Amino acid sequence: MNRLTKLPTLRIDPSENRSLQYKGQTYQGVAGDTVATALYANGVRVFARSLKYHRPRGLYSLDGECSNTCMQVDDIPNVRTENTLLKNGMQVKDQNVKGSAEFDWMGFMDKLDCLMPAGFYYRTMHKPASLWPIAMKQVRNAAGLGKIAPDFRMKGDYTEIYPRAAVCVIGGGAAGMTAALAAAESGLRVVLLDARPWLGGCFDYRVSAYDQEKALYQRARELAKAVEATPNIRVFKHTAVVGVYNNNLITAFQVGGESDSFNERYLEIRATSVVVATGCIERPLLFENNERPGIMQVGCAHRLARTYGLLPGNQAVFSIGHDLGLEAAADLFDLGLQIACVADIRADGQDPQLLLALTKRNIPFLRGWVACEAHGSRQVEKVTLSTIDGSAKRQFGCDLLVASAGLTPITGPLTLAQAKLKYDMHTGYFLPVDLPAKTHIAGRLTGLQHALAIEASGRLAGLNAAADCGFDTAKSAAEAGQQLNALPGPERGTRLVSAPVKGRKSFICFDEDTTLKNIKQAIEMGFDVPELIKRFTSAGTGPGQGGIPGHNLPLLVSEYQARTGAKPIPTTVRPPLVPTFIATYAGANHDMCKRTPLHDLQKKAGGVFRRMGVWRRARYFSEDFSCREEILNVRNNVGLLDASTLGKFRIHGPDALKALQRVYVSNMAKVAEGRVKYSAMCNDDGCVIDDGVVVKLAENDYYFTTSTGRAGETVEWIRFHTRYDGWDFHLVNLTDAMGVINISGPNACKVLAKVADTDLANEAFPFSSYREFTIRKKIPVRAMRLGFVGELSYELHADASYMPALWQIIEEAGQEFGIRNFGVEAQNVLRLEKCHIILGQESEQRTNLLDLGLGFLWHRNKPDAKTVGAVALRQTEKDPGRFRLVGFKMEDPQRPPRDGSIIVDQRIRGYVCTARKSFTLNESVGLALVDAELAALGTRLEIFEDECNGKRLDARIVPMPFYDPQGERMKM
Amino acid sequence: MKEIQRQSPVQFKADAQKIAMRDNWPVVLEYSNEGRGPFVVDLTHKAKWDLQDKNLATHKPLGLDIPTLPGACAFQKSVLINRLNRTQCAIWHLLADAPALPGEPGYTDVTESTVLLALFGPNALAIAEKLTALDLMDPQKQTPFLLQGPFSHLPCQVVTLERGHGFDGGLLLTCSRGYARSMVHAILDAGAEFGLRPAGEQRFSAWASGLSGKPGSAQAPSVMHLVTTRENL
Repeated sequence: MNRLTKLPTLRIDPSENRSLQYKGQTYQGVAGDTVATALYANGVRVFARSLKYHRPRGLYSLDGECSNTCMQVDDIPNVRTENTLLKNGMQVKDQNVKGSAEFDWMGFMDKLDCLMPAGFYYRTMHKPASLWPIAMKQVRNAAGLGKIAPDFRMKGDYTEIYPRAAVCVIGGGAAGMTAALAAAESGLRVVLLDARPWLGGCFDYRVSAYDQEKALYQRARELAKAVEATPNIRVFKHTAVVGVYNNNLITAFQVGGESDSFNERYLEIRATSVVVATGCIERPLLFENNERPGIMQVGCAHRLARTYGLLPGNQAVFSIGHDLGLEAAADLFDLGLQIACVADIRADGQDPQLLLALTKRNIPFLRGWVACEAHGSRQVEKVTLSTIDGSAKRQFGCDLLVASAGLTPITGPLTLAQAKLKYDMHTGYFLPVDLPAKTHIAGRLTGLQHALAIEASGRLAGLNAAADCGFDTAKSAAEAGQQLNALPGPERGTRLVSAPVKGRKSFICFDEDTTLKNIKQAIEMGFDVPELIKRFTSAGTGPGQGGIPGHNLPLLVSEYQARTGAKPIPTTVRPPLVPTFIATYAGANHDMCKRTPLHDLQKKAGGVFRRMGVWRRARYFSEDFSCREEILNVRNNVGLLDASTLGKFRIHGPDALKALQRVYVSNMAKVAEGRVKYSAMCNDDGCVIDDGVVVKLAENDYYFTTSTGRAGETVEWIRFHTRYDGWDFHLVNLTDAMGVINISGPNACKVLAKVADTDLANEAFPFSSYREFTIRKKIPVRAMRLGFVGELSYELHADASYMPALWQIIEEAGQEFGIRNFGVEAQNVLRLEKCHIILGQESEQRTNLLDLGLGFLWHRNKPDAKTVGAVALRQTEKDPGRFRLVGFKMEDPQRPPRDGSIIVDQRIRGYVCTARKSFTLNESVGLALVDAELAALGTRLEIFEDECNGKRLDARIVPMPFYDPQGERMKM
Repeated sequence: MKEIQRQSPVQFKADAQKIAMRDNWPVVLEYSNEGRGPFVVDLTHKAKWDLQDKNLATHKPLGLDIPTLPGACAFQKSVLINRLNRTQCAIWHLLADAPALPGEPGYTDVTESTVLLALFGPNALAIAEKLTALDLMDPQKQTPFLLQGPFSHLPCQVVTLERGHGFDGGLLLTCSRGYARSMVHAILDAGAEFGLRPAGEQRFSAWASGLSGKPGSAQAPSVMHLVTTRENL
């Protein structure tokens, strides 16, 4: 096809070639082309087949309002090729076809529409019930859009930005640009978004006069230049708004150009005030075969020529309902398009100048006429026009039918902002009646069509938006308002939706193949509101997001029901307003996790890492996930564990002890210097939320640890529970500041003694005590003698930056003893053998301190402290109906049950918290929470595992702990 | 173990040209091919103090005033003081070694708690915009100012130290030390399109020393006065 390369309105660069691959051939386009316009330039007219009926589909809107041009591009299905910029080497395929889009073997489905009335998949093929699964597969095989390979990986760069603005203007047409310029006059930060790759809106491609000196497109470029030269206006082109939320949070996505570093990026804009100047789209005209290739909207035909230099056809018929159609007809005629006839559904109200222009060009004009049927199988060949009432008909041969019933405003962003829409009888638009605070509208969206009025409304909206930001714009706004009032107001619109047809092949929704007849069927079945009809017939639920049927459906329902005084009710709009890639929403998607200071050393040592809460931790140190060697090395020798993830806090100040008394169940006044106190925190229900140790550093100065999972909430927790007391204490979270190494096993003391600058003898540093000393005279450590894994253990807390050095020093010192790392899983088994609990494993939301057998921690005689949870603990103390933590051994010593398995008899009686094979004991042991009446020693438990096929596992309750019941090994 | 050294959680994949040892910290003063900016500099070794008190106004750490309102900062005598809330401020020793922690109650050395990064140079604020919704370019606020909130989805304290033309400028940010590697990865990834490169401490010092004591660096009350007169710029 020859391009119109000399037009001043072009947005392509004919001197720069681009190519794509389609059907094994190379097709040439030019810079600025979309995939669809490049294909169109190469003679492609059928781009896709429809969802249900496999009807051929072609270019219709050029703005992606329907799935007509959805194709597979570079392995990505459902790409709207009409607004996807062409890049060199793109691989384009048609989709949902058996054969090709041009010759689809599934095309016979079009004849079977009588078998598929509205909602047929809800009503047919369901009896007998066994039929539906078979039928469903066939329906799904025959219907659908593109398919994505399960192993498909999205290529490209997807990122996000979070711009802030005082004023965000949605829509880069004349009104939007004028609004942005007006708001920017106050020095405010303004963001301007436009879905197209350039600014200009409906002025951009039109050569009609703006004033006596310039055409509309020239005015658009003038405004764009001014906008882009204003430093405090930030312009985002090719950026479609997808959501509008509370407090003027606007989300959008921008498509990257060839020079951009991203393919798409997600924008999250916070603005004080918003101006919506989104303009209008065309309201489709319904008639038989209204979606045949060769039928397109006015703007599509006009922009094909003026923006892309492609004459849309040779011989055209226009069936339109607004002046833009007349303007396009005259202009396209001048560009070389033969026009057989222009039919206008309006009996009157046309712009006399435009009528004169048609007359001058000898273009036949029919008032009150409308297209009622398009003929031709894969491409329109002929059209039947009729009077609005169907009393007379005429036929015209053509290869292009430009059809449009009227205009409809793009109100999606307003609806999302919770504006209420009401049908306006004058404009025929759904217009907002109650705009949310700090939201303004401007431009064609309001029904204005006069160029100067569009701009005046934009200026007024921009000034009002500036006023929202605290600027006094009252005088300027009043002037702008007067100027607007002096210009022509909103123009009268049309209501007609459909030609006088039965509607069997009149499509209201192209995406879902929903016909006029389907809508009538739904209404006759009792669906009386558009929202329900939309769901029952699927109209408006496809990729076009209601762009094609959004306005027509409520008009049609209202007209068909013919209720007195009833106004059309619009259907609900939800984000995303425009479909985009999930990859765009995902963005860079960095895995933001914490690593301990020993991460690299453990990785080097073969650590197998797992994400645990916010941390990545070494769970295993071999491929043997039973951790046999790690466990036995701790029991018989000495092991090293990175416990740096423990929560660590300093609490200091005159009232620090009071705060500790409030949140810990024990009497914290008894924390003696040089000693470690183990205690727990409960919530108001007495349920255990945390446990850890507390040491006293100095007067009114304590250091305490929490479980890993609670570290992030501890400061908040303590502050919350002391919020009314006015106590003077300070909390510092040292979780990341200090690393922790746990050195455990019978040889732990020997290893540590080689490097510690202190006496580690039992008398000098006994079990459950705390010391501060240095390692190799350089690294200060806080050391605690604890026994979580049931062996002689030292917990060394040191500056995080010294941790790698400290670890290596201990490793070197331990070499002669065969020291080795052990991971979180080995620790889990070791502490299980000792029956030391881990909160979250041996507890859940309802588990209280007493259930776990930790009642000994609770100091009942500190009422002054008002200990959190104490009241609840008193109330549940004698409650026999609670779970109890028990230890059990499996009857089959080689077969531990899975964690979380349920304990049953005739009903569920509890669950397994943790169970493992104990290599130390050569038995399978576990901890479970069971009904109190099952908690007696010797009770036999039946355990039901997932997928056990009814075969239960047997266990028996035994005394705890399983290992070293006298606790001698921790004190050796 | 040859020599006991501290280790920063940030390890850039770049060749260190000059390294100085300070309090057992190997501090990279300069990397090869630092480029012309933007730069990211690891300042984790810089001493950071936490000061908490019911009556913060009674304190004068190192003889310096603490800004009176949360979000305000004072950058004087090489020390940046950030008012975090009613009872707490952060004291960062950016350009000189810190003296011993004051003996009076309320102070905690939190140097090890957080990673401290500087991001500055051309388009530095554009990089930040890819990672946070915090309004680091708020024209209503006079630099330096503090914002607390998510940066690359992590809770951070972010101080805009300088705001230049367009997206040029610089900021400091801290987050929990454990997140250091994730944070640096996210920043370098976001900055790749702008040519972001790691730089040594010297580069930071050269930039920041020009900002210390500049007008506005200790004028928190006037900053907040602006905040109350206009809703948002």
